[in-house]
Amino acid sequence: MSYALSLLIALPLVAAPFVYLATRANRRLGIYFSLGLALVVLAIAGYVFWEVYSQVPALAPGTYIMQEKYSWISFNSFGLNYFLGVDGLSSPLLFVSALLTVLVILGSRRLIDHHEAEYYALIFMFEGAIMGVFTSLNLILFYIFWEVVLIPMFFFIGVWGGPRRKYAAMKFIIFTFAGSTIMLLGFLYFYMGMPSPSFDIPTIDAMLQAHQIPVGLEYLPLLASFIGFAVKLPLVPFHTWLPDAHVEAPSPISVLLAGVLLKMGGYGFLRISIGLFPDASTQYAWVFLGLGLFSMFYGAVAALLQTDLKKMIAFTSINHMGFVLFGAYATMISGSYLGIQGAIFQMFAHALAVGSLFMLSGYIQHQAGTREIPVLKGLGTTMPRTAAILVLGSAAAMGLPPFASFLAEFMVIAAGISASILTAVSILVPVITAGYFLWMIKRTVLSPAEAGHEAHDMGWSDVGAFAVYLVPLVILIVSSYLILSPALPVAQFLRGLP
Amino acid sequence: MVDYLTSAVVLLAGASLFLPLLQVFRTGRENLAGYILALVLAAALALIGLFTLYPSPVPWAGSLVSPDQIGGVFALVTVGVVLAVTIASFDFLKSASKPVYYSLLGFTALGMVLLAYSQDLLMLFVSWELMSLPTYVLAGFDKKIHSNEASVKYAIIGAMSSAVILYAISLSYGLTGSTQISAVVAGFTSHPSALAGVATLLFVAGFGFKMSIVPFHMWIPDAYEGAPTTISTLLAAATKKAGFIAAIRVLLGISTLYVVTKSPLFTMANVFAVLALVTMTVGNISALTQKSMTRLLAYSSIAQAGYMLIGFVAFANAPGSSAAMLGLTGTVFHVINHAVMKGAAFLAAALVVLQLKRADLKAYDGLGKRMPITAFTLAIAFLGLAGVPPLSGFWSKLILVLSVANGPYGWLALAAILNSAFSLGYYAWIIKRMYMDPGESTERVKEPLWFVLIFAIMVGLIIGIGLFPQQVINFVSNAVNSFVG
Repeated sequence: MSYALSLLIALPLVAAPFVYLATRANRRLGIYFSLGLALVVLAIAGYVFWEVYSQVPALAPGTYIMQEKYSWISFNSFGLNYFLGVDGLSSPLLFVSALLTVLVILGSRRLIDHHEAEYYALIFMFEGAIMGVFTSLNLILFYIFWEVVLIPMFFFIGVWGGPRRKYAAMKFIIFTFAGSTIMLLGFLYFYMGMPSPSFDIPTIDAMLQAHQIPVGLEYLPLLASFIGFAVKLPLVPFHTWLPDAHVEAPSPISVLLAGVLLKMGGYGFLRISIGLFPDASTQYAWVFLGLGLFSMFYGAVAALLQTDLKKMIAFTSINHMGFVLFGAYATMISGSYLGIQGAIFQMFAHALAVGSLFMLSGYIQHQAGTREIPVLKGLGTTMPRTAAILVLGSAAAMGLPPFASFLAEFMVIAAGISASILTAVSILVPVITAGYFLWMIKRTVLSPAEAGHEAHDMGWSDVGAFAVYLVPLVILIVSSYLILSPALPVAQFLRGLP
Repeated sequence: MVDYLTSAVVLLAGASLFLPLLQVFRTGRENLAGYILALVLAAALALIGLFTLYPSPVPWAGSLVSPDQIGGVFALVTVGVVLAVTIASFDFLKSASKPVYYSLLGFTALGMVLLAYSQDLLMLFVSWELMSLPTYVLAGFDKKIHSNEASVKYAIIGAMSSAVILYAISLSYGLTGSTQISAVVAGFTSHPSALAGVATLLFVAGFGFKMSIVPFHMWIPDAYEGAPTTISTLLAAATKKAGFIAAIRVLLGISTLYVVTKSPLFTMANVFAVLALVTMTVGNISALTQKSMTRLLAYSSIAQAGYMLIGFVAFANAPGSSAAMLGLTGTVFHVINHAVMKGAAFLAAALVVLQLKRADLKAYDGLGKRMPITAFTLAIAFLGLAGVPPLSGFWSKLILVLSVANGPYGWLALAAILNSAFSLGYYAWIIKRMYMDPGESTERVKEPLWFVLIFAIMVGLIIGIGLFPQQVINFVSNAVNSFVG
């Protein structure tokens, strides 16, 4: 039995108080300790990723590896297990979350200047909980980690955020908590209605395959979980907390928000909305597909209208996460596995591409004193290295080859077209995205610099840090099999359920 | 060989009777009475624990008390809360009559222990009064007009609720010829009549005053705000629970009765469901608009009573089903968790009142810097009360909601879930004030050692039960199973 997954969750959670103490004692010590710890977690996540890559494609679809299962609570007829496992859906998300944590710690050095001990401790509480979300195979355990993620995020926004941070923090926690409690109620309803109740995802899947669960039981939980995940993804019209949270959150936290927290929504749709309620999901697949498509367009058009660089990137996230839902349900309709594979790939690519842009917006704010696109002028001459990264990051976000986002969006759109030729309009979304990114670059990078405007460019070490966001995307377009081959059994399994 | 329960009762009664003598002899040792009572309560706690593990018949009591585990759960919870209140009072209480105060606390504890085990309506009533009368005095112990007003209001309403219970008891006796709870229950169920329905409703109302169920809740915010904050802790975390054990013993057995008329609308389950819905909703909405911490906690306490009633609904809906067992287990488990969480929150508020001399919410701005331990305790207690996992309150709410999640009362589950989300609005708001808003000063305020000790134990319980709930759930579900079975 392997304990790697438990370690992945427990190590950050247990180490968090020590990070606090170390940073209290000495700032440099604390940061180095955090960095070392995050690298260890990354190494474990890398190991898990590699194990999934080398084992899962050979196994039957729907198999989870590295399982750990212990009874946690049981009385009368009620039973609850501590149950972990990974497959091709969770392993890329684990890896990218661990990678972003390292990068966030690197980026926070300069951007976070008060309450640092609490900050770094909360980063690890967040990381541990996220690892729990992506590895839980028990619905209640999943819900617990899901909620624990909220607490550090509430403090991140509320303590280290911008001028309207308190409003944004309250809005964030009430939106997401309301969404997730409704999701929990859906789980409980589902549990009580099952012929032999269980919260374990593999057990439920086995019952689904044996047609032991009445289809009528699936509708209400599907609706409830939809609300929980739609808030997280976020899907228009459940998205209004996101621009506020992003604008107020400090940039490293925006990276975690967009790169990791939103993935919880996409993961939930695949693992639970489709994975546990497949029949109801397939019946309403067109509705979900349409909502995803609408979200894509809405995010793109809204991004076009923003003048705040960070808010623009926030709407880009809504646009990109819409692809995940679109791709997932395109597979359920058409049977083309490209949709789910593309959705998983898109989550990975979006985390890195948009992560780099959010971090960059923090640098620009820090160095140039503003994030307003019309005010930022002549970055190309005053901050050439920053400008270069901005151009590359934008290219990654708009899905330009040789960045992996191109492949991901291509796959999703292709799956959509195989579901119905009408969804070919989705091809316009990358066009609009390219439009607003290029317009932003024209106004900020290519415009002439204003005289007397002093700005410090980033050093080469920071350029190196940004390379860590973008280089994997280039590598993945040539070695996409690293993600796509373990993702194939996931797509086959989910497609085969209804 | 005297059994454990008798020893505990004798110990509590003896201490409560003789403590006032310290007042007469003016020993000069200020807190001596408090230390003695704390030791006695700790001993009583241990004895009741032993009694719960090794139950034995209580010869002197005849059929008045029943040595069952569910009584043990409630006796342990209530005595534990009184112990915490006593320890907190060492620092909190600034009065010339300390021995009297501690003696009254002792009597309340005794009343609650006897009430927890009562299986006869007369015994139940006598212990009810033994529990209530000292709290009327304690609520007015501050000798301030505010406190006395609260005390008078509380006493009048309390006396009324006692009268209602007594009337219900006399109706029960008239209908069934017995005061034994089991005989009354059997009589009501075998010969249902309109009068039996009236008696049942009177029981609901009478116990409802203590359980803080809407519409019997009007006195709660005023009494909690006016009383010394340690006594508010006692009222919210202990005497309220005593109301619940009384209700569990009397009302659950007659849950199959139709009240008033034999229409499917007037089942006990419907009565409980409506009360639960109204109680949690009114409590949460009112809490949101409060400007004083004690009032906010009072309304939050009302809302929590609404959650606890969900178990009654599940039980009354289908007695003996697995959902019924889940529901009752959830209620009793939530009683334990709520006692700890609300106790921690009230005692934290008591310390703020003691050190900053104010109870309005503005005092909590920037508290994270001024009183970090208190603020942390309050934050954990609030998150637990809101039902955020993995804290103890999450599990009991989960079990409660689960018991009605799929069935005719699914709407109640939805209401409870939405109420939980809504309640985070004010809980997170206070946490925001403590950690994000700037305070009037950033100077550290002293946090006395006794308070820190209680906070540590309570936070430990909230997190510990949250992470490892199995043992407590086993204890509760065994008690419930043996009580019902």
